[in-house]
Amino acid sequence: MSAAEGNPGRNPQRRPARNPRREMSRALSRVANATVAESLEHQGELPEQALYRIGVTGAPGAGKSTLISHLASRRVEHGARVAVVAIDPTSPISHGSILGDRIRMDAVSDDPNIFIRSIPSRRAHDGLADNTADLLWAMEGHGFDEVIVETVGVGQAEYSVRAIVDTVVLVLLPESGDAVQAMKAGLLELADIYVVNKADLPGAELMAGDIAATAAHQAAHQSNGGAEGWLPPVLLTSNRDADSFAALDEAIEAHRTWRQDRVDADVVRRARIRYQVHGLIGRRAEELLEAMPDADLDRSPKEIYQALLRQLTTAPDDGDG
Amino acid sequence: MSLKGKRILIAKPGLDGHDVGAKIIALALRDAGADVIYTGLRKSPDYIARVAVDEDVDAVGLSMLSGSHKEIVAETVQCLEALDASDIKIFIGGTIPAEDHKGLKAAGVCGIYTAEMTIDDVLSAIDKELAA
Repeated sequence: MSAAEGNPGRNPQRRPARNPRREMSRALSRVANATVAESLEHQGELPEQALYRIGVTGAPGAGKSTLISHLASRRVEHGARVAVVAIDPTSPISHGSILGDRIRMDAVSDDPNIFIRSIPSRRAHDGLADNTADLLWAMEGHGFDEVIVETVGVGQAEYSVRAIVDTVVLVLLPESGDAVQAMKAGLLELADIYVVNKADLPGAELMAGDIAATAAHQAAHQSNGGAEGWLPPVLLTSNRDADSFAALDEAIEAHRTWRQDRVDADVVRRARIRYQVHGLIGRRAEELLEAMPDADLDRSPKEIYQALLRQLTTAPDDGDG
Repeated sequence: MSLKGKRILIAKPGLDGHDVGAKIIALALRDAGADVIYTGLRKSPDYIARVAVDEDVDAVGLSMLSGSHKEIVAETVQCLEALDASDIKIFIGGTIPAEDHKGLKAAGVCGIYTAEMTIDDVLSAIDKELAA
């Protein structure tokens, strides 16, 4: 596959924009659509992270977008300028997508202090999209104070968002007790704040109690990543009670303050770089596999793996660009 | 034909509340490989233009059944221009009388897709327009 094929939609000849918002918006498209070769070409020193990064994750239909709408509106009230990256799944069949999160953020999408970008997941199946790490870096320096990342609706194991944001909010539904059991060894260990959304439904408080017990147990036994000492709060929210989101806003501030002295910046930085490099290699492997002729796939997995490794060691812009 | 990688905003301006057509087009575009964003009902041209800029779309499709297409198109063109985004293409679908087509094209609409067309014809027309 040629480098240009990975970026089929855009016209690079378009003239530069004078409207700074448009300029940023286009820059984000370039990053989001970049092939691995293009990503590497444009990657310089990583900038200083100035944007506070909040990740919102949870099962499909848990109410992530609506929750972000409430949250963003509160953050803006405190004077923050907020960017939202809302990721929706790409169809594995047509490669198209319906990016529907924005509709749930209708109440705030008119606010000039809020910028919402809908992103298709493309090849990624870790709850994020191709190039999400690069995209967050590309958002630095455009006058925003924080960025909220909404993952694709996830199941048990798609917790990559943990690596690239500062505060992870996991949104759950009442009556998802069995799902929560399954999450205990995955997502549920990795959130900083738990939200039981749609708390007007029956079973919400019972579930919140169950999660709080699990969270307390984990906090007591935790020894990874310098995260000692944070007891993840469990909050109840409901779209029917806009005030219920105030506690979420406060919990994020509390976690942010706590992180400042307690989290080892080097550990965080290394985890992010690891994720980014893992993403680059994974995507490059996918690019090569997609371009592989059918006949080559008739070999054994071991042979294909070795052939792929040889191709991977050639820079992506040598030979197939 | 593939609209893979194209970003398209389907917008519902004006007061009519029937968006079955808009949703059918949105799904058909997705199945043709496009990334589709839908605004929801009753949006102003100013709102639509701002979403088009923030989402950096290649084209905006206006779904119009209310008869106010001339005004809405003129305003949308103006709003996009004000945001330095007149290169974002505008197409329009819905109930658009034949006698208005010429005027709409002159106002800056790149394609007019009415209910007489098949979905495939609409998709190839959009594909052709966006490839240009």
